Amino acid sequence: MTFYISGGCKNGKSMLAQHLCRALAEGGPMYYVATMIPHDEEDVARIRRHIQDREGWGFRTIEQGRDLPACLERADRNGTFLLDSVTALLGNEMFPPEGFDPDCGEKVAADLTAFIRGVKNAVLVSDFIFSDAERYDEWTETYRRALARADRVALECDNVIEVCMGRRIVHKGELKL
Amino acid sequence: MKLIIGGAYQGKREHAVKEYGVREEQIVTCAPDAMPDLSAPCLDRFEEFVFYCVTHGLSAREILEREEEKWRDSVIICREIFSGVVPVDVTVRAWREETGRVMTWLASRAERVTRMFCGIPQQLK
Repeated sequence: MTFYISGGCKNGKSMLAQHLCRALAEGGPMYYVATMIPHDEEDVARIRRHIQDREGWGFRTIEQGRDLPACLERADRNGTFLLDSVTALLGNEMFPPEGFDPDCGEKVAADLTAFIRGVKNAVLVSDFIFSDAERYDEWTETYRRALARADRVALECDNVIEVCMGRRIVHKGELKL
Repeated sequence: MKLIIGGAYQGKREHAVKEYGVREEQIVTCAPDAMPDLSAPCLDRFEEFVFYCVTHGLSAREILEREEEKWRDSVIICREIFSGVVPVDVTVRAWREETGRVMTWLASRAERVTRMFCGIPQQLK
């Protein structure tokens, strides 16, 4: 069973994803795929907050900032996987220390597809950054286009949920919790 | 008129082609610096038509009301630009608000309103 979750920031996506994982896992192993490579104090604080939110849930953390399917070599594929977030994963792929990869959207989409096909349960969290009036520079716009491309993995998922201020809009499939 | 809205890159154009049989070459993409041909079978980036109006002292709503027979049977695609932080720039601020007003009015005139999210259509009307 696979879920794709997107929506605005700090609207309750991660918490919903954790609840979904617990329901899907039915006592089986749960993995948290940590994608964020911290760059500053703010990132460290954000990671600390996420770790606190997950405490006592029984997730095993596997760190994988790039090349997502590689993490499956260190996990039981019959488990339940929480990927939070597609946004951070794409950022790592597009802006590696050695440069800029503008075309990585396709690669990330392929990685995500291989990942969800390779596991029993997966919950993917993304961010909806597509509805403002800003005219961005070409770098940012390239990133937005690539994220939208990666987000199309939603079409491969069983369920697609938009979270808005803690409320859930079901775009595909269903949400029973 | 059928309205397709949604954030950037959410699959609006593909939906116009798939759902309404619009051909790619029939789609007129609006630009911020030119008045589009409102009689095109399909108008994409409609928010840029609103931008053109805002920056040229024109009322998009008045133009649309006056020339309604031109677009009455068309497919109109608009990027949702009304969310996000209130822009600092006065022009962008006016554009964002005017687009919200014009699209709310257009949606009331539309036979169908569809919102695209990650390539998935949702019927709002």
